[in-house]
Order: sequence, then C-alpha cells, then structure tokens
Amino acid sequence: MSAAYHCPNPPAPPASPSAARAMEAMRLGQFRDAIKLFKQLVKEEGKDWLDGLAQAYAARARELAAKEMYEDAQILLENTAATDGAVRDPLLYVHCLVKRGQHQKAAEHALKYVGTDKLAAAEAARMGEVAAALSLVTPRRRDAAVDPHSERGRWLEQAAAARLALAAWLEGKPYEEIDPLLRRISMRSDFKAVRLILKALITAPLDANRARQLMDPIAPQSPFAALRFAVEAALATPQSEHLRSCSAASGPERSFFLQVNGLSESGCQSLGEFVKAENSGPGSLFAYLIKQADQERADDIKKACLSLLPRAPDRLPRFEKSFGPLSAFDKSRVLALAAEARRDWDAAERHWRAAAASLETMGAPANLALGVIYRHLAHLAGAHDGIDVELDDAAVDYLESSLRSDHNHLPTALKLIAHYRAKNRLGDWGRLVEQVLACFPDEAAVLLAAVAWAAHAGDLDRAIGHAHKLLLLDPINPAVRKRMIELRMLLARQKMRANRPDLAEQEIAEASKLELPEAPSSPLRISAALIALGRAGSAAAVARLREAVHLAGGDVCAWVQASLEHLLMGSTGDGSVLRRGIKEAQKTPPTKEAILSVAAAVDGNAARDHGAAVASLVRGMRRWLLKGATLAWSADEVRPVVAMLRQAEAYQELGAYAKQGLARNQRGGMWHVYRLVAETKGNAGVLCEDDVEDLAEIADTAAQDGRLNDARLIWSFLDSADDRESAKDTATDAEGPLDELISNIITASLARISPEEVARLIAKHGEAKATKIVAGKLEKSTAGAILPAEKLREFAQEMVQRVMAEIARPPTAKEDQPWQQH
Amino acid sequence: MAATLDPFTTLGVDENAGDEDVKRHYLALVRAFPPDRDPERFKVYRAAFEALCDERKRLEAKLLNNSDAALARLRLHLLAEAKPFSARASKATLCALLVEGVARASALGESDAQP
Repeated sequence: MSAAYHCPNPPAPPASPSAARAMEAMRLGQFRDAIKLFKQLVKEEGKDWLDGLAQAYAARARELAAKEMYEDAQILLENTAATDGAVRDPLLYVHCLVKRGQHQKAAEHALKYVGTDKLAAAEAARMGEVAAALSLVTPRRRDAAVDPHSERGRWLEQAAAARLALAAWLEGKPYEEIDPLLRRISMRSDFKAVRLILKALITAPLDANRARQLMDPIAPQSPFAALRFAVEAALATPQSEHLRSCSAASGPERSFFLQVNGLSESGCQSLGEFVKAENSGPGSLFAYLIKQADQERADDIKKACLSLLPRAPDRLPRFEKSFGPLSAFDKSRVLALAAEARRDWDAAERHWRAAAASLETMGAPANLALGVIYRHLAHLAGAHDGIDVELDDAAVDYLESSLRSDHNHLPTALKLIAHYRAKNRLGDWGRLVEQVLACFPDEAAVLLAAVAWAAHAGDLDRAIGHAHKLLLLDPINPAVRKRMIELRMLLARQKMRANRPDLAEQEIAEASKLELPEAPSSPLRISAALIALGRAGSAAAVARLREAVHLAGGDVCAWVQASLEHLLMGSTGDGSVLRRGIKEAQKTPPTKEAILSVAAAVDGNAARDHGAAVASLVRGMRRWLLKGATLAWSADEVRPVVAMLRQAEAYQELGAYAKQGLARNQRGGMWHVYRLVAETKGNAGVLCEDDVEDLAEIADTAAQDGRLNDARLIWSFLDSADDRESAKDTATDAEGPLDELISNIITASLARISPEEVARLIAKHGEAKATKIVAGKLEKSTAGAILPAEKLREFAQEMVQRVMAEIARPPTAKEDQPWQQH
Repeated sequence: MAATLDPFTTLGVDENAGDEDVKRHYLALVRAFPPDRDPERFKVYRAAFEALCDERKRLEAKLLNNSDAALARLRLHLLAEAKPFSARASKATLCALLVEGVARASALGESDAQP
C-alpha cells in the first residue's frame, strides 16, 4: 500500500503563508504537519480549507495503514466523515475495518455506497464487489423499508440469492439443486463472481477444464480472487500442481484445498506438520525429516535431507550420523552450494574444485558431470570478479578443462574459439575449429567459425567450401551470402595478381549468383568492372566501372575503394580512369563523414600491406583533406583521420588539423600531441625535454582514463624516437627523461599487485598459472598500453619467482615490495 | 521455503528420467494448461522443460541446484489419499477466503481501481 500523496487539489493559489506551507507539507509527504496547518487554516480562514484537511487526513491514514497501524488510520478517516457517514477514501476505510476484524461494520459501510453516485465509476465498481463479498461473510440484517424496485433493493435481492446458493453448496446439495439457484444471480450484478465460482465448484467433479474456464472473467484484483485461486488450486490435475498449491498457498487456501480433497484428520495432521516444518526453514524441515528416517520412504527422506544440506550445512554431522558418511564428491558439492548461498565465491570455487578432483578419479562415466562442474567454475569465475581480477584467464582454463572432459559440448567449444580468435592464439584457434568441425560438420555456427578460420589462414578455397555448405543449410541468410561474395572477391584478387583474369572473372561470376537483386553489392560490381578493365580496357569497361562506383556512392570514398581494389588486384590495366574519378569527386566539398569513410577504407589489413601506394593515394587528395581541416572535429572524432595522415606522412595536412583543433580547444591534450607529431614530421627524436614530459603525462592520463588508443598513439610516437636514436647510437643514455617516465609507469603498475596477492595466486593455482594471471593483470594496467606482451610475461615471471623465493626464506623485517626496485 | 518448484517437480518427473519421459510429461502439462489460456503457467513449464531437455542439462539441474524432488515425493505421499472435490469446504474457510480477498482488493486503493 503506497503512502505517497498523489493528487493535491489546492482550493486556489495559496493566499497566505500558512496555506503555502500546508501545500508544501503535502507535497513533501509531511502529512502530520499538513494536518496541523490545515486545521489552523480552517480556524483562521474558514471552512474552505476543510477539503484540504480531509485530504491530509486521508494521506496520513494511508501512510499509517502501510505501517499496519489500522486503528489509527481508521480514526483519522472517521475525521473526514460527511454528514451521511461517507469518508474520504472509503476503500481504505473498509480495508482498515477488515484488518481489525470489524467485518460487520465494514459490510455496512461498503453498503452505504451501493446505488449512489458518491464514488467515481471504477471505484464504485470495486466497492460494489467488496460490499458483495462482505455481505456473504456477515450475518444477514434486516434492512428497514427498502424499495424492492430501487437499485439498492435489487442489490439486496441479489445478495439473498447468492447467500442461498452458497449455503446450498456448503450443505453438500447436488448439482441439480444448486444450478437453478445460481441462475437467480444476475451476471450483471456485483455477485457475478459468486455465480461463476459456485458453478465451477459444482462442475469440477464432471469437467475440471470447464470449471477452470468458468472462472476466467474474475479479475485478480477482485475481492473474489482469493476464492477463485483456492478453487483453481484444488482443481489442479497433475500432482505437481498439488504441490504448488501446498507450498504457495495462504492458510485459508490450504484449508480449502485439504477440505475439498476430503483428506482425513490424520492425513491433514501429517501434512500440516510437514508444511509447518517447511515454513519454519530448512533447518526445521531437516530436523522433522530426520525424525521420520526409520519410517517408510526412508530413501526419499535421505535424499530430501541431502537436498536440504546446502541450505543447512551445519546439519552435515547429523546427516552422517543418521545415514553414514557422505562420499567425497557429495560432501564437496554440498559445501560448494552452501558457499554459493552465502556468496563466498572463494570457498565455492575451492569446494567445486575438490568435487571435480574426486570425479577425475572415476574415469569416463563421470566425464559429463566433470564438464558440468568445470563449466560452472568458468561461469563463477566470469560472473563474480569480486574474488580475483584475473578471472578472465581462470574462466578460460576452466572452459578448457570442461572441454577436455566433455569434447562434444558445442557452446563451450564455440566460446573458446571466439576467445582464441580474439586473443590471436592461432594454433589453438585452428586446432579447435578442426576438432569441432569433425564432430559437428553440419552445424551452422561451426561452419561459420570454420569459414573465419580458413579465411584467416589464407585457405580461401576451403573457406568457400565451408561457406557453400553453410548456404545449403541456410540459403537465404544474407550475412552468409555477403561473406561468400567477399571470399570469392578475395579469390578473384589472388587470380588477378597471378595474372589469370579469366579465372578471376569466373570467381566474380560465381559471386554474382549470390547477389540479391534488391541489394546489389557495390564492391562486387567494382571488382567485376576492374577485371573487365584489366582484360579489355574498353570504353564499355570504363562505363561499367563508373556505374559501379556510382552504386557505391560516387563520392571520393567510392573512388578510393575502387582504387584500393585496383591496387590489391596488382594494378592490372589502366588506372588513369581511377585517378580522374578521384579528382572529379574532390570537387564536392568534404564532410566529416566523407573523410572518415576514406580513413576507414584505407585502414584495412590489405591496404596496410600496400603502405606506399596507399600513402601516395592519400597524398593525391591533399587539397580536399586540407579543406576538411576547417570542420569542427573533436579530438576523438579525428583520431582515424590522424592515423591515415600519419601513415601517409601527410604532415602538412596533419598540422592544419591540429592548428584548427587547438584554435577551438587550447587545452585539448591530444590536439597538442597531433601538433607535435606534425611539427616533428613524426620524429620524436627532435622533441625538447619539456615536450617529451608533456606527452608522457598526456599518455598517462589517457591510459588512466581508459583511452588506450590515445595512449598507444603517443607511446608509439615517442618509441619512434627511441628506435631512431638506438639505430643511430646504440649507447643512448638509459636514464633519460623518457626512460625514467616509462620506468615510473611500470613501477606504478607493478605496485598495484601486492606480493600477498601473488602468494595467494601461487598457492591457489601453482607457479605457471599464477604467472599467466599476473601477466594478464599487467596487460590491463597502464604498463599494458606501452609494453609488449612478452615483456609483461617476463615481469610476471620475475614477480612470481621472487615471491616463491620469499616464501621459501624465513621471515625477516618488513621489506619493500621486491618489484618496486625495478 | 520458496514457493518456486525445481524443474523435476514442476514437470513431475523423476531425477533419473530420460529425454522421452521429460518430453511426455511436458506435453501433457501443455495440453492441460494451453499457453493461450494461462501464459504465465506455460512459461513455468517451458522453463522447466528447457532446464531438463537433454542429459547435460539434467545433470546441471541435479548437481548445481538444490533439488527438491525427493521433498516433493514425500509431500505427494502425504497427499496420496486426496480425492478432489469429494467434500465441501466449511463456511469458516469460505468466509476466511472472502475476507482475504476483500483485504487484498481494498488495499489496492482508489487510485488502483480498474473499471
């Protein structure tokens, strides 16, 4: 029940400070204060404020009723009574009376509203049903001189009919006698639900489904709903539904269930004791069951007690005393579940590992169970990173163990394949794909993974074979069609480079068959046109190329895409048409989207393999790119453009972008970086000491803010200086400011992992895995943004070895963390 | 104790039931309580079926959860002598149910009243 005050209805704009305070108190839900203020207002300014006072009383009453202070709430509502006895919020008033056991008074009050227009339609309908239900609960009282033709008279007549029908059912009268009585209850009256429920009750022994349907119109918020649900529970046919009835029912519902099912006194008593123990908690139920252990159904009692143990682990000794010792596996499982219940994830992991260890000794029959437990451990490791930050790696280890036990669990295999792919673990990726493919050759998800692997490994024929099979399984899947087209295009590219345009044309023809007429593929059309251009160089081929580029948007990016494809095909044929196309397209002023799409086009792996040619292509668009510098870029937005300009060594343009960016945002750290990159033409070796320090600070801030791309960009720029210097002079001073800064960052990253934590990891996982986990942690730290993975692994190994040495050494005075001396 | 039943009890199958048995019980329940009539109940049956529809999932349900199937069997045993609608409830029980219903309905308040 909400105590919130919903609808203040001020009599007018507050005329006095008291009125304003009263309204404010109502708004803030300070109803006691509001009552005082409104009382004062009534005294000082007159009865106009009575309505406000009544609202405050009702709001406070609702607040008290929510705290189950029904008597106080009732008294407050009585303060709002009009001369005819109607109160503000009559439903709440009835609620308070019912809760206090004053059913007769509640019934009489509810009846006051029947046949009147004192309530709004919805509330009146609810009140009518409430009055109807209460009239059946309370003894009938003689109503003085009510016109039988009035609305109230008709209502009382319906009440009498309902009472009569109900009495007939309670007395055990048969269907034939009750049914005519029910017909006297109108389906338009407030007693409609009584008719439906009684009809259902007498129909139930004949047709339970029909009985259930009969009660469908009774809404869950109806006062008859509790009776309806009790009847439905008793109607349940499957035995499991009976259990639901017993477990979830309220006291009266349970009594109804027991009574209409004709359960004996003793049956009722046993069930009652059982349910009572059950309601008192797992410990009580366990105690109740263990007392019955020597009676019939001892096996079920043992199993039930075992199932209760995770919820009452302190009963474990009692269980073993009654039923004998639990197996190592069962005991670990019980303790693991109990640990999970109290959210002690470390203990849960430890006990599940013990359970798995006891299963390992049982061989093949336990493999499925082992798989389940390792998957669960992986889930715990992934889901509850409250225990250890390294859980990503732990989860992978558990998944691998799970797959070793249960080779055919496809979801696990797919999860691992995705992980190996993301982490670029090529050997594991390929091995697992092949393994899964052998087990599930017709599974779409496996074929998709196989396509990705084969394409990555450069085995395009095999990739196409898998994709072809995938298309046979799912011919209209647009993503598969698109992938197949891409693969054929890659193959066509290879053929062109091998100077076999005839074969390339065949590949493109095959790909064209997969093109959907409503979604033509512009890259495919561009490839086809370029091959035609390479073979014939005719005007028709040029026109075809222009048409394909037009399909791709006809802008600079479309021409760049075509030029790149031409490049990747080995620049076969006349490229002048492409150069002219790019030049023409640059007549359109640049937009951010256009420049970004060009940057995206030249960012692919294939384009990176042809760095010099791509750089020349970018430099060919200098004027157009320079115009783009005046657009309102943010430092984040411009990052791909900077990468493209840097790659193409277009420092003049980069300088223009940086100048404009700094003009807009002088404190923008990254714009400062871009300016320095441009001014030094990418050679950090010429930077002064202050600039290097500035850059290192910006990089550190970026890494701490999680902007690892920015941090990497700066460190790669600074590293370029290092590389050049070391190339020039291998005897560079190692204690320079840059090295010092890097060293500080590494030390800070290492300091975040305490020796105690490393010791705990070693104890828990052993040396090798602890090293792996520490390396994973370092990878996620600031140091991870600037150091290669191998270097991080070396650091991790050293940390683990030092802690192991410390553990082996007798304790001495407190020392610094060993890796802080780096 | 929680009123939610474990999937074995919901479907009324033994912990050692096979695929066929699980499917048979599930389909019988869906026939008795079609989804269009009682979508909420159907969701419960569907979830239970999905939790038990293959061997691995049944193992997961058995190993990783507190199975109340044995408890359910004990309760069923106590209910074995039940004969549905063989008797009538008492007036006191009916009145208690009506009062419970009135208390719930009136607690919803004027703002919750539905037409």
